[in-house]
Amino acid sequence: MINDFEFTQPRDVSEALEALAEKGRVMPVAGGTNVLVNMKRAPLETDLLVDLTRLEALEPILSDNGRIRLGAGVTFARLLEWRPGGAVEGLMGPMCVAFAGPLIRNLATVGGNLCDASAAADASPPLLALDACVELESATGGSRTLPLPAFFQGVRKTARRATELVTGIEFSKPEDDERWFYYKLGKRKADAISIVSIAMTVKLAGGKVERARIALGAVAPFAMRVPEAEGILQGEPLNDSTIAAAAATAARESRPIDDFRATGAYRRQMVEALVKRGLNEVARRGK
Amino acid sequence: MKKQTLSFTLNDQAESIEIAPRTRLLDALRVDLGLTGAKEGCGTGDCGSCTVLLDGKAVNSCMILALQAEGRDVTTIEGLGKPGSLHPIQQAMIRSGGIQCGFCTPGMVLSLKGLLDQNPRPDEAAVRVAISSNLCRCTGYSKILDAAKTVIDGRMPPGAADGNDGAVGSRMARTDALEKVTGRAVYAEDVQLPRMIYGALVRSPHAHAKLLSIDTSAARQLPGVKAIVTGRDVEMGYYGYEVRDQRVFALEKVRFVGEPIAAVAATTPDIAREAASKVKAEYEELPAVFDPEEALSMGAPLVHDDVNVYEFDWESERKGNLCYKIEIGEGDVDKGFEEADQVIEGSYETPEAHPGAIEPHSSTAMVDSSGRATIWTTTQKPFAFRSYLAAALKRPLSSFKIIPTHIGGGFGGKLFPCLEPYAVLLAERSGLPVQMTLTREEEMGATLLRHPSKVELKTGVKRDGALVAQRVRMLFNTGAFGPYGPNTAALASLMASGPYRIPNLEITGLIAYTNNVPNGSIRCPSGPQMAFAVETHLEKVARAVGMDGLAFRLKNAWEDGDTTCTGQALDAVSVKECLQKAADAVEWGEPRTPGVGKGLACNWWVSGTWGTQTLIETNEDGTFRLISGCVDMGTGGMTTSVLQMAADGLGVPVESIQLVRGDTDTLPWDHGHGGSRMVFTIARSAYEAAKNLKQQLLKEGADYLEASVDDMALENGQVFVRGDASHSMPLAKICYNRHKKHGGPMIGVSSVLDDAPATTKAHPIGGLPAPSFCAHAVELTADEETGEIAVTRYAAAHDVGKVINPTGCEGQVEGGVAMGLGLALMEELREVNGKVLNPSFADYLLLTAEDMPPLKTILVERPASEGPFGAKGVGEPPIAPPTGALANALAEAMDVNVERLPLTPEEVVSLIGARRS
Ligand SMILES: Cc1cc2nc3c(=O)[nH]c(=O)nc-3n(C[C@H](O)[C@H](O)[C@H](O)COP(=O)(O)OP(=O)(O)OC[C@H]3O[C@@H](n4cnc5c(N)ncnc54)[C@H](O)[C@@H]3O)c2cc1C
Ligand code: FES
Ligand code: FES
Repeated sequence: MINDFEFTQPRDVSEALEALAEKGRVMPVAGGTNVLVNMKRAPLETDLLVDLTRLEALEPILSDNGRIRLGAGVTFARLLEWRPGGAVEGLMGPMCVAFAGPLIRNLATVGGNLCDASAAADASPPLLALDACVELESATGGSRTLPLPAFFQGVRKTARRATELVTGIEFSKPEDDERWFYYKLGKRKADAISIVSIAMTVKLAGGKVERARIALGAVAPFAMRVPEAEGILQGEPLNDSTIAAAAATAARESRPIDDFRATGAYRRQMVEALVKRGLNEVARRGK
Repeated sequence: MKKQTLSFTLNDQAESIEIAPRTRLLDALRVDLGLTGAKEGCGTGDCGSCTVLLDGKAVNSCMILALQAEGRDVTTIEGLGKPGSLHPIQQAMIRSGGIQCGFCTPGMVLSLKGLLDQNPRPDEAAVRVAISSNLCRCTGYSKILDAAKTVIDGRMPPGAADGNDGAVGSRMARTDALEKVTGRAVYAEDVQLPRMIYGALVRSPHAHAKLLSIDTSAARQLPGVKAIVTGRDVEMGYYGYEVRDQRVFALEKVRFVGEPIAAVAATTPDIAREAASKVKAEYEELPAVFDPEEALSMGAPLVHDDVNVYEFDWESERKGNLCYKIEIGEGDVDKGFEEADQVIEGSYETPEAHPGAIEPHSSTAMVDSSGRATIWTTTQKPFAFRSYLAAALKRPLSSFKIIPTHIGGGFGGKLFPCLEPYAVLLAERSGLPVQMTLTREEEMGATLLRHPSKVELKTGVKRDGALVAQRVRMLFNTGAFGPYGPNTAALASLMASGPYRIPNLEITGLIAYTNNVPNGSIRCPSGPQMAFAVETHLEKVARAVGMDGLAFRLKNAWEDGDTTCTGQALDAVSVKECLQKAADAVEWGEPRTPGVGKGLACNWWVSGTWGTQTLIETNEDGTFRLISGCVDMGTGGMTTSVLQMAADGLGVPVESIQLVRGDTDTLPWDHGHGGSRMVFTIARSAYEAAKNLKQQLLKEGADYLEASVDDMALENGQVFVRGDASHSMPLAKICYNRHKKHGGPMIGVSSVLDDAPATTKAHPIGGLPAPSFCAHAVELTADEETGEIAVTRYAAAHDVGKVINPTGCEGQVEGGVAMGLGLALMEELREVNGKVLNPSFADYLLLTAEDMPPLKTILVERPASEGPFGAKGVGEPPIAPPTGALANALAEAMDVNVERLPLTPEEVVSLIGARRS
């Protein structure tokens, strides 16, 4: 019940990494919108809390040579104002609109969202559809980069080691003709946790699918791609039958559970409906 | 734990304090710095009542550690505007009526400021987004959006200078708005007493179990623990409303998950909770029952061994798990069914719902050397609380003094004691003042809720649409205790035929005990449940005979001279007018578009009486004190309409009347705020007291001026002989002389008692005074695939008898519609094996500003014969029809049969899957 820990507010990344390398239990805190909810329910299992909110190095959004890098400390309010255009904006924009409410958006960070790794974490599906990688750094181990699917490891479990800091998220800027679709289904219009969320990018060439990335949130222990459904589309035109087959396959690949917000059956049904809707929209947008 | 230093800028001033690292910014502000304008509605980021500006951006102060604010700039409501120099947003909130209970107000104002500082001219959609993290349970957001609009447009809403000066019918601003909008109003958790400690409850983890033993030794060892009390250490009596079946602590057995078994007080809330978790109890689990139908069947586990040992005010069959049964009828239903051309049956269910006040329960108690307890608490019924406590703790009623604080939303959730007895017991044992506040989780998981219902209807109808017979069986689950179960069933029995003429009726209402969380008397108890069942069912009946829903209702609706099922003769009946106006507002007759549905629902309700007294006293300077024991749960009736009617009765400006706030020691007795009685009863009483005082003033004037009292008048601060302005005397002078000569004031008094209209049949509630009528119409679309509903238009027509304050009436309707829409669309507490699955505002969803549809409020005035001005109650009825109207609109849009609430996307998809053939 009693939260008893020390608090430190490093001024740069190396100071933060050193703090994370300290003995005992150490936990980073960024926007705090997961950490403080957890702290309200039970004592935090940490001896030292390392505040990341002063790390300027985690804040920039960089676009360079076709690569985009989001600092882990970028808030959803910042992301909402970002205008990268194309598929990136097409996915991230509506995701941010549907992410929590304005108060939380002013605090919550992308890095925190990925590290918390909730099944319903909303940043994950768009970033999976953009094929993003997570950059991790530690005081002793230097830095490494992991593709998002390798970063997520289980229910609220990631590949991040306790001494590591997530410093950024990186992905290639899609080409201008990349198509996209995003939808978040919740129980009310603002500030609702996802029942299902879906993000996809599709590249068409000569009327056929050259590559499709379909990512789903809240229908598995962590956000997932649906490789079989993507495979069905590969090299095929988008028509009623390929779309129906991909949608049904995606539904099969999803692993939703029953919880208070929805039954697994409904979630699965929604995966099918929304994949279909997304692919139809993607197909239509080309015409 | 080591404290660390926090240095930051708070409301433009440098501030430096030593705090424990775990301290949230919200705690640092409220506890360490004494700025209680930021409120804790949830502590989990879901409500926005803790909003502050951090470097100019609106954020939840419950989501930030205070130390994270190091070097930053924090603005709280206290730093925004002060009385006399308000920020324009604050001024606009006051004048537009954007403030009711005021608990959300500081956060709302700061979110708006955060928006307007960045974007001075946002459109309405952007404003809705900006306040969508700030939940308001009272206003339906409409008047908050109005306030924002006037600021954005650079104009001010009309104020006192524009004719809103307090005359009856004017938009006078509530007199407590200023303290609320500046964050200075004191709510229960804002009370801070020297040496105050904090309490926490130990609750049962089981739904039904024998309580074998309680071991408090480990808890006692914890440093900082000051008192522990269990049921074995206290003399406990049974208490309740109609049925007295409950004790403060479970003793031999526990009957629901969350039932208190012990209470602990310690120097900090954290230590108290830690100690509570260290109290060990041994249980032997018993078979439990959760379904009310099952509870009433043979052989079900008994929640109470013998219900007949409890004192009970009403006649009823009581046995097994049957807490209460009511039967009422008229004519011969079976014969009616025979005469009918069609007989339609249906069954309708609604879930358990929470009143949803943003303010959690909180109480602070102090016990003096004589053993007398003073309790600061958030209560709708301070006087009743004395008697509940007296019964519960077996002490004289006079041993309790209740000081009601501002209430951050009542909605029926604060009609019954919650933390008060525990705070008293702990204060007594520790010798220190004790404050107790529920966490949001406890608030949602173990306080009194709205009864879940199952209503079965069988209705006979003629080919031409005339209703001939209806059989209704209503089953309400009251949970482990029945504090308000009987009352709910009795009210429901009156709503079971809707406002319709049905010659043959057979109505049965049952209240079953189960091992669920107990239920209470939540705003319009049984109203939304019955409006859903009756209005959804009758739409089905209309469809069966091929009639349009409006035409069908108009054909069967009550008119003046009709009687209710208890034989109460009705007058000032306005159902048809309400129906027509609501329907017109959504262009009812227009050709229907596929996929778009329109729905109607209407209902009737009571204007509550119960006793009250009002005193109005002259001051030496010609001003007045209005003294009433009624509290205002947030609706604002007390701080607008009551004063307006008193001023009208006296013939003086409203500003010259001061509303006295006091406590149960100093104020005259009153029944409490609930039952839509504020204007109908309290304002009426104030008016009568004012008339009474005016007569005395005129008499005094007549004596001075040597004239006949019948010739006297009071206007513009002068008492004068009518038609002879030279014979006059200033009111102030009369009052001054009176104090000088007779050593005291003149006092106008009024005492109102229950006076229910006559009925021809016996009924525990009897006739409903000044019945009010209303109808709602809605238009919606639904997403065929995902089931998401979009409400596109909404109209609510309410007969309020006479509009005393339009802003106040509209505010009740707007807030009521928001609550009703919540019940229709998303509100549901789900219990599994007696444990609430979603005890948070993250999963028990209230409508946000983005969910609130455009709403047209239509106020109808068909004056009631009772009382001056003919005003009727409007506090409760607006929440009932949305359930039925939504269901009917969805039925049309998607061609489905709606039989239960809420209409979540998943529910809609499953209805579409089972689409009626
Ligand atoms: C009211 C409310 C509504 C919400 N709505 C949504 C929603 O709609 N969608 C959604 O996805 N989420 C939602 N959330 C959850 C939460 O806001 C997000 O997960 C948010 O992105 C977390 O970011 P943060 O910066 O606040 O993380 P924090 O709480 O500070 O941290 C989260 C976790 O990540 C770790 N961490 C943070 N940053 C780093 C880093 N750089 N390196 C290593 N570890 C790190 C922390 O140690 C912690 O374990 C909501 C939360 C609340 C309170
Ligand atoms: S108390 Fe902070 S959001 Fe509810
Ligand atoms: S006024 Fe908004 S919650 Fe009461």
